[in-house]
Amino acid sequence: MPDVVSAWLAILLVSGVTLASRLSGPILMARLPMSAAVERFLQNLSLSVIAALVASMLMRGGLREVASVAAAALVMIVFRKSIWAMGAGMLVAAAWTFLAG
Amino acid sequence: MVRHPSDIAVTLTARGTRRGIVDLAPVALFFIPFGLAFGVAASAKGMPAVQSMVLSLLVFSGSVQFSALDLWHATIAYGTLALVALAVNARHVVMGAALSPWVNRLPLAQRLPSLALLNDANFAACHSAFRGGERDMGLLLGSGLVLWSGWVIGAAAGALAGRSVGSPVALGFDVVMLCFLAAMVTGQVNRTIRLVPVLAGAGVAVLTLPLLPLGWNVIAGAVAGAVAGSWAHA
Repeated sequence: MPDVVSAWLAILLVSGVTLASRLSGPILMARLPMSAAVERFLQNLSLSVIAALVASMLMRGGLREVASVAAAALVMIVFRKSIWAMGAGMLVAAAWTFLAG
Repeated sequence: MVRHPSDIAVTLTARGTRRGIVDLAPVALFFIPFGLAFGVAASAKGMPAVQSMVLSLLVFSGSVQFSALDLWHATIAYGTLALVALAVNARHVVMGAALSPWVNRLPLAQRLPSLALLNDANFAACHSAFRGGERDMGLLLGSGLVLWSGWVIGAAAGALAGRSVGSPVALGFDVVMLCFLAAMVTGQVNRTIRLVPVLAGAGVAVLTLPLLPLGWNVIAGAVAGAVAGSWAHA
């Protein structure tokens, strides 16, 4: 865990970036209209960054994490409910730890 | 029908705000378990309850907070954290741009509160309302407020309860972050072409993991995925 000062700095940084992104859409549009290509790029970016995060975490985890994500993705595809998907992933992880120790 | 922006006098009223709160209150109930999941995950990772609560209060975004949590190490790489947060937040820029015909009709001082709590759920509700002739930006503020309350209540409960519940690994709390993000990705792949940014992003992040400092492989994957996605569309 980071020390207290670094942690609060990081919290301020993430909050600031997030607030700026919420405000920036209309500010940008008031100056220059967003092209369809830029909009598509940003939409793809917000998806690809999360995919990259998940892949990176899985590489650092083990089979237990892979099984949890597979369960979560499967439940999401079938039921389209992210709460259920999280629950399924947790269940698989807990069962794995219980059985494999 | 979309009206021409110059025909619209957009306002921000208390009455509209109240309407936003009431309209989205049922959805806000579903934000509580998500907030709870974040609070528990942050506590499983060892983040002090106060820090995780303030983070939820100020950021109010599951994907941003969970991504930040993955980069929460003893030594924080601020540049990496900022770039990852920026990429995860790209969606907000697109949503704000879509609301700009109405938001930009407001006085400058009212735009900040209107947009401060923008998220997927209130965007979806308000964008369709505004396209249908709605003129009160209070709807966006009110719906944002009620959703934010649900998120914060859940996150606070999770942060406080997290460590008293038991071993995070035995209960599977340690995979909540991973499964939330995986569910987000799966839910957004509604057409085959949306698989391109996912596969390219994941592939490049994995391939560059041994080559780049941790976090930069995620940024490399994100950019590669966005480029590949745009290229596939063209």
